[in-house]
Amino acid sequence: MPAEPERKPSEKSRLMTLLGGAILGTLSLATPLVLAALGETVVQRAGVVNVGLEGMMLIGAFAAFVGTEMSASLPGHIAGNSPNPYIGLIAAALAGVCVALLFALFVVKLTANQVVVGVVVNLMALGLTGTLLRTLPRPEGGFLNTQALPQILFSLNLLTPIAFLAVPAVWWWLFRTRRGLELRACGEQPTAAEASGIPVLRRRTAAILFGGGMAGLAGAFLSVGDVPTFQEGMSAGRGFIALAIVTSGRWNPWGCLAAALVFGFMDRLQIQGQAMGLHLPHDLLLAAPYVATLLILTLGSGWSQSPASLGRPYRRV
Amino acid sequence: MKAGGDVETDQESSRRSAAESSDPLLQMQGIVKRYGATTALNAVDFEVDAGEIHALLGENGAGKTTLMHILAGLTRPDAGVLCLRGEPAVLPSPQEARRQGIAMVHQHFMLVPAFTIAENLAMDTPRSPVMFRPGPYRPEQAAQGAFEKAASLGWNLPTNTRVSELSVGTQQRVEIVKALATEARLLIFDEPTAVLTSREIEELFVMLRRLRDGGSTIILIAHKLAEILAVADRVTVLRRGNRVASAPVAETNAPQLATWMTGTVGTPSVMGITPSHAAAPNTSSPNSLTVEELTVSGDRGEQVLRGLSLTASKGEIFGIGGVDGNGQSELAEALTGLRRIQSGRMAWKGEAFPSASGPRIGYIPQDRRRMGLAPTMTVGENLLFDAVREKPFRRGPFLKKKALRTLAESLISAFDIRTSSQDIPASALSGGNQQKIVVARVLRSAPDIIVAMNPTRGLDIGATRFVHQQLRAARDRGTAIVLISTDLDEIAALADRAAILTGGRLTEYDVQASDSAQIGLLLGGVTTGGDSPH
Amino acid sequence: MSERPEPMSETAPAPADVDSPTLPTSPKRSFAGIVRGLLVAAAYLLGFVLLLMLTFVVLRIPPLVALHSLWTGAFGDARSGHLPAFSDTLIETTPLLLTSLGVVVSWRAGLFSIGGEGQLLVGALAATALAKYGTNLPAPLLTLLMIVSAGAAGGLWGALAGWLRVRRNVQEVISTIMLNYVAKFLVSWLVLGVLQEHTYHNPQSESLPNALLFTRLLPRQWSDNSQTSLHLGVPLAFVFVPVIALLLFRTKFGFALRVMGQNPDAARTAKFPVDRMRVQAMALSGALCGLAGVIELLGSATGSLPASAFSPGWGYTAVPVALLGGLTPMGALFSALFFGALTQGCRNLSQFQDVPTVLIYLVQAMAVLAVVGARAWNARRTGKEAE
Repeated sequence: MPAEPERKPSEKSRLMTLLGGAILGTLSLATPLVLAALGETVVQRAGVVNVGLEGMMLIGAFAAFVGTEMSASLPGHIAGNSPNPYIGLIAAALAGVCVALLFALFVVKLTANQVVVGVVVNLMALGLTGTLLRTLPRPEGGFLNTQALPQILFSLNLLTPIAFLAVPAVWWWLFRTRRGLELRACGEQPTAAEASGIPVLRRRTAAILFGGGMAGLAGAFLSVGDVPTFQEGMSAGRGFIALAIVTSGRWNPWGCLAAALVFGFMDRLQIQGQAMGLHLPHDLLLAAPYVATLLILTLGSGWSQSPASLGRPYRRV
Repeated sequence: MKAGGDVETDQESSRRSAAESSDPLLQMQGIVKRYGATTALNAVDFEVDAGEIHALLGENGAGKTTLMHILAGLTRPDAGVLCLRGEPAVLPSPQEARRQGIAMVHQHFMLVPAFTIAENLAMDTPRSPVMFRPGPYRPEQAAQGAFEKAASLGWNLPTNTRVSELSVGTQQRVEIVKALATEARLLIFDEPTAVLTSREIEELFVMLRRLRDGGSTIILIAHKLAEILAVADRVTVLRRGNRVASAPVAETNAPQLATWMTGTVGTPSVMGITPSHAAAPNTSSPNSLTVEELTVSGDRGEQVLRGLSLTASKGEIFGIGGVDGNGQSELAEALTGLRRIQSGRMAWKGEAFPSASGPRIGYIPQDRRRMGLAPTMTVGENLLFDAVREKPFRRGPFLKKKALRTLAESLISAFDIRTSSQDIPASALSGGNQQKIVVARVLRSAPDIIVAMNPTRGLDIGATRFVHQQLRAARDRGTAIVLISTDLDEIAALADRAAILTGGRLTEYDVQASDSAQIGLLLGGVTTGGDSPH
Repeated sequence: MSERPEPMSETAPAPADVDSPTLPTSPKRSFAGIVRGLLVAAAYLLGFVLLLMLTFVVLRIPPLVALHSLWTGAFGDARSGHLPAFSDTLIETTPLLLTSLGVVVSWRAGLFSIGGEGQLLVGALAATALAKYGTNLPAPLLTLLMIVSAGAAGGLWGALAGWLRVRRNVQEVISTIMLNYVAKFLVSWLVLGVLQEHTYHNPQSESLPNALLFTRLLPRQWSDNSQTSLHLGVPLAFVFVPVIALLLFRTKFGFALRVMGQNPDAARTAKFPVDRMRVQAMALSGALCGLAGVIELLGSATGSLPASAFSPGWGYTAVPVALLGGLTPMGALFSALFFGALTQGCRNLSQFQDVPTVLIYLVQAMAVLAVVGARAWNARRTGKEAE
């Protein structure tokens, strides 16, 4: 956050500070949402609903925290003998991919119900991170903290530019490449895709793994981003907001970006309002993403652009 | 089974192929495919020579499609060997089949409705070996070759139209272009004529011959004898998962093929033998179903029925023939109240319906698995869809379990449904027995009107005969029956009066006297008045 | 070939038996069937216990001690008596049972709702609001009205998702998640606002007078003069097991519901009112979850609704619970008891060993994955048909 001007803070510069803070804060709050929603967009475009997004984020957050802490004991030329949050990022992405692999095993290979497996992934993440948390050494006072990602652009860390650059990249990939076309075919009409020689199951698995990796990174933002700590259940519903974003963004990365920015701004408003002691109905602001999504679905033709085979398992005959 | 005359039988043909040194293009030997307890293919041999149109003939369920899915890499066989040009080949996936030059034109088109034609065609072209190309991927560019192919066939396909907006005939063209564009040398056509008008079929045949003369080999899955005799060079017949015979078309004839296909000589459903007609055709009586000027639109809002009128009296079977996609399902749904009618009048005994006290209408839908059954509910429960709504089987809100079980039991024996108990899931039954469930359910409720749509599609001869008997019996008890069937022989066998549905209208014809040429013209949409559907 | 055909259309035109979880048909009656069922259940249980022990070994907790601790936590021991522990287990079972019955109803209808959490919350919220504004009513009547209003509110919340499905074709998975969070923030907004208790000390609603709360059922002298937690709401919840079983398997509505869940196209063709039944099924499912909310509220010590964390995720856990019970009411009962006992046992375990209570989620997740995996594997191996 830019330092307060020292002498006679004019109204204008105060406003600028506030505005700058609001913009940076919005971008920062939107970052994990964009990351997770982009991953889920690809997953849903392939025809799979991953309700376990929340759990994948949580496990990503935990892995980032643990990875950062453990990196101190890696050889010096890798992590520099001190906790390195970038190692944490890698750990988070890998952990997300691992959980996604489990999800894919059940959903793609065993064609189990996607909703059930998603709910179970959430339960498992809560239990796993909570249990493993006890095995970590606790510092005095019991408050866990670690090294945060360095701020590289004003108050923003590496993940924010990654997230926002990923939007055009994923869009390009989905709508301007052959692979993207094929992936969308898997989500629209898997039998047709298979007949065209597209290995639907493998593509769906790959999409799920990508989604898992992105969810892991999104989780990492929570634990080694602005506030470098880990708490039980710290994903706190952000995975579900990401699901809302995918739907209200109409399965399009640009739509996701717009929705994530709006929801990030609402969140920022709520936090700022609380900090300034304003009497904003902060619970209503928190509910805004969900209400907005429901309204879009109710009033517009929101659902009509969904991938036609969304949520349906595909079996080879 | 003894084949007659100069036509070679199975044994002879294998002897011959052993003697010859030159390998056929395709050789499939001892192919076995099982699904659970049912054997779809029982050690089937199949050979195709290069440059021929080879028809694969068999009734629905004979295993034709399964065999071809194996060839197209969509299904893996449980046993058997496959050789291409004498070399053993493994086709674990459609991609591999493609690489070997095999492509399939599916009956249920393998197209993505939400994609444009260009996208659908592009999806199917071989991937370029260059890993990274600057600039966006343009489907219409990638599909350039396919569009040129289409142009060379005289087809002008709109690049950026979504497939969901195309007519069935055009969709098939896209599907064919897709297969041709991959430079496939062996093309499999799965019942390509099922959805086409006779004019379109003629065009298709011309194209098939042209492809053959251009050096392609074509396998044509079919069950219509006339088509095979018209276009194929050789024919292989499958019956219930076994190869029965293989012969040059020139050396065989329709009765012979029919015998091979069905295993019995000259059954009605194949030969078009007209059985007795119990009731004389009575044109109109006060006790009849009358439909006047019915206008109904299809799923995409297009006008499907345009002022259709018909009457079916009590104790009469009114047959409606025609090629799939001319408004048959829309008509059935309109009659049964499942689809809103836009204008027109439907009446029973002079009283308009749908209404609160309308006639009881029984509906035998065309796709029993999709519309007729709850597959994992029990056989018994599947028989009781209507009974549970009737007063005598309920006490307050509760069902009378005993009475319902007894009823199910009696239906199972009355309709000869082969099942070990009424408590096993309906999905465990064969297709014929599943259809018997649907028929039993409809007939039990003693409806005033029955709307039956392709009631015997996919059934074996025994089950077909049984369903026909039941429909006749219902007719004789005074039910008015509207029989919608794409099988004209079925209509000839059952109907008292008949009409052809084309372009959203009916044209009546005399079931007993009409010659096939005239009906063929009717099917093709060449009628008096009535504009063409395509 | 149309993308989304209108009148006869279905969002899931694939045969329902393909994409739904393995639905058992009506309960089997034969002796051999029962024996086989018991054997399978025993095998699952054994596998589960082994899995549990393995987990303990990994966490460096002596497995046998831990198992014993789980058992006594759920069912008590000779020293401290069985009643207090077991009644706690039943208390833990109750909300899971009702929410999973809700899941049984909606999933049997082919609607993959995970909206139990939100429906439970709005149920408790409606009851709380009624208690605040209906104080002049006599206590038993007010209690009854609270129960009814909770069911109605939950039902409304569920019907909303059903309506979105019917009118807007929105998949209920997504809409119910959204509604869960709307409910969550609605509760905290109202509880911190108009429903806030008058001292403003705690973020919760007013405590309710004892007369409104459920009476404790077990007399003190049965358990060394200590009050056991078992209350009237527990048997009330258990009553819904036979009620829902009867509804599903012995009424026209239940029959039609199951046909619809299996194959909506067949239900439509058979002239069952599919659209209306979808809304009804979601409403019924929501009502059951709403009841879970009010029973939890009236069974608590004070009857005040906290602004957050009223439910530890019962509405979500209900999905695996119901699935483990084979989507039958009886199955849900046993499954909920099993999960209830596990939760209670884990709570006990965490008091003696350094084990967090959230371990229970891990254990539950593994149990469900094992069963889902085994079923899916079985279905893959056997359940295919020709053409």
